[in-house]
Amino acid sequence: MDQLFWVGLLAAAFRLATPILFAALGETVAQRAGVLNVGIEGIMLTGAFVGAWAALQTGSPWLGIACAAVSGVTLAALHALLCLRWHLDQIVSGIALAMLGLGLSGYGFRLTLGANSAVRLPSFDRPDFGTLAELPWLGPVLFKQHALVYLALALAVAVWWFVRATGLGLAIRACGEAPDAAHAAGINVGRMRASCVLFGGAMAGIGGAYLSLAEIGNFVEDMMAGRGFIAIACVVYGRWNALWVLCAALFFGAIDAAQIRLQTLNPDIPYQFFVMAPYVLAIGALVFLSRRSRMPGALGRPFVAPQ
Amino acid sequence: MNRQRMNPSDMRRGAGIVIACVAAALLVSAAFLLAAGRDPLQAGMVLFGSAFGSIDGVAETITRAVPLALAGLGIAIAFRASMYNIGGDGQLMIGAIGGVAALQWAGDAGAIGLPWLLLASALAGGLYGALAGWLRARFDASEIIVTIMLNYVAFQMLAWLVRGPLQESQKIMPRSGAIPEAAQLPELIEAGQLHAGVLVALALALLVHVVMRRTSFGFRLMAVGENPRAAAAGGIGVGGIIILSMAASGALCGLAGGVEVAGVFHRLEENMAPGLGITAIAVALLARLNTLAVPFAALLFGALTVGAGALQRQMAIPFPLLWIIDAVVIVAFLFAGARWRRAQPAA
Repeated sequence: MDQLFWVGLLAAAFRLATPILFAALGETVAQRAGVLNVGIEGIMLTGAFVGAWAALQTGSPWLGIACAAVSGVTLAALHALLCLRWHLDQIVSGIALAMLGLGLSGYGFRLTLGANSAVRLPSFDRPDFGTLAELPWLGPVLFKQHALVYLALALAVAVWWFVRATGLGLAIRACGEAPDAAHAAGINVGRMRASCVLFGGAMAGIGGAYLSLAEIGNFVEDMMAGRGFIAIACVVYGRWNALWVLCAALFFGAIDAAQIRLQTLNPDIPYQFFVMAPYVLAIGALVFLSRRSRMPGALGRPFVAPQ
Repeated sequence: MNRQRMNPSDMRRGAGIVIACVAAALLVSAAFLLAAGRDPLQAGMVLFGSAFGSIDGVAETITRAVPLALAGLGIAIAFRASMYNIGGDGQLMIGAIGGVAALQWAGDAGAIGLPWLLLASALAGGLYGALAGWLRARFDASEIIVTIMLNYVAFQMLAWLVRGPLQESQKIMPRSGAIPEAAQLPELIEAGQLHAGVLVALALALLVHVVMRRTSFGFRLMAVGENPRAAAAGGIGVGGIIILSMAASGALCGLAGGVEVAGVFHRLEENMAPGLGITAIAVALLARLNTLAVPFAALLFGALTVGAGALQRQMAIPFPLLWIIDAVVIVAFLFAGARWRRAQPAA
C-alpha cells in the first residue's frame, strides 16, 4: 500500500465516478422537478453505444458525446410523453425505458460495431496542465484527468448553484414540492418538468458515452452493470443536493476503483466477492440513508393542471 | 385494474388492450427490421415457423414459457402489492442455487429428490425476495434499486459457485455436476425438452389465482397495493404484507429457477437467466396482472423467445430485439390501459 497505490486509487475514483455523476446530476434536477426516471440505466447504455458508433463514423469523440446526448434526450422525451402528457405510471414507464435502452444498444451494437472485430474508437486529447500535473499526489489525481471529469465536477457545482440560487431553480423546486402552488404562481408545470427530464436524459447519455468512449474505449453489451441504478441511489444518498450527490458518486467511484485493485492484490479470494462489493454497499447505504432523507414532496406524482 | 371480478365489458377491454399491445409490438419490430435491412414478412414467417411450425417448435415454445409463467406470476403478485420487483433474475438464480445446493447437502435426497429440489429453490428465492421486502418495510429502501443490486450480487454468487464449491468434479467447465435422475422433471413427450414443469406452472397459476381472489391475504395484499395508507387505517399490517408479497414473488421466481434446473439444464450453469426476469415483467403486465392470464402471456413470450433465437441464427437479426419488444409491450399496455380507463366513467 505505497504512494503509487493510493494515488492510482484516487485518480481512478474520479474517473469511475464520472459516468455515475453525470447521470445522477441529471436525475437530481428531474427529481427536484418531481419526476422519477428509473430508466436512467437504459439511457446510459444507449448513450454509450450511440457515442461509440457516432465517434467512429465521424472520427470525432466530441461529436460522439454530442450524439449520445441527443439520444438521451430522445429517450427521455419518450418518458416525458408517457408520464407528463399522458400521466402514466412513472415507475413502470421507467422500467420500460431501462429495457428499451438495453435492447436498443444491444440491437444496434450487434448490427454495427459488434459485426466487425477490432474496432478502434477515436480517442480524446487530454487537457494539459503543464507543471501542475508533475506535482506529487495532487498532479496525477487532479491534473491528469479527462476533460469530461472536470466538466462533471463543474456541473455538480453549477447544478447546486442553479437549483439553489436562481429563479428558474426555485421554479423547478416549486414544481417538485408543490405543483399546485407553482401552477397558481403562473409556472407551466408540465413544460418545466419536461425540460428537467430532457436535461436528465442528456446527462445520462453523456455519462454512458463517457464510459464507452473515454474510460473503456469500446462498447460492451450491458456495460453499465447497474451504474444507472446506483446513480439513482446516489441522488437519495445526496438528499437531492448536487454537492452531496457529488460526494456519493465519488464514494462509489472509489469503491469501484478499490475493488478492482483488491482483486489483483488478493488472488486467493474469489474475485466475484470484490465485484459484488459496490452493489452490497449500495444496498447498505440505502438502508442507512433512506429514512433520514426527505424527498421532494410531489416526487412521482402526476400533475394535471386544473381547467 | 384491480377489480375482483371481470364483467363482459371488462373482458372486452382486456382483449382490446392485449390486441393494442401486440399490434404495437409488431409495428415497432417491423420498423427495426427494416432499419436493419431485413424483410419483416420473412422474419415473421421464420418467427412463427420456428415457434409453432412443428411439434418440436411448439414443445420448445412451451418449454420457454414455463419459467416465464412462474416468474410472471411472481412479478404479478409483487406488482399487485405495488412492489416493483425487478429482481426476478436474481431470485431465479438464487432459487437454482438453493435447489442444487440442497440436493448436494442431502446427498441427492434419493426418491424425494425432485420435490426436495423444488421446495428448496422456492424457499431460497423466497428468502431473497423477502430480504428486499424487509428492507423496504423496515428501512424504506427502494425495492427497485435493492432488487436490481441483488440481481448483480446473485449473478456473482452463481459465477463463483460454479467455479468453486459447486463445480463439477473434473473442475473444467464453469458448471455444477448433473443432478440425479430422481430429481429431474420427467419429459412429457419425445419432442424437444417439454417437461412436467408445465404442469407445475399451470397448477401454481390456479393456486395463486385462488389465493389472490379468495383469501383474506389476497385481499389485504391488493388493498396495500391500491392504497397503503387506507389499508393501514383499515387495520392491515402494511409492512408484513409488503414482506410477504415479496417473499411469495421471490419464491415463484426461485421456483422458476428450480424448474429450469430440474427440467432443462439438469445442473447449475452460469447463464441460466438470460433476462428472464425482464421478460417476466412484460408477461405480467400483458396479462394485466391477472394471474389466470399469465400462462397465456407467457406462451406468447415463450414463442417470441424461440422466434428471436431462430431469427438470430437464420437471418442474423440480433437477439436484443426481444428486449425492445418487451419495452414496447409495456408502453402499449400503459397507454391502452389509460385510454380505456379514461373512456369509462369513474372507473
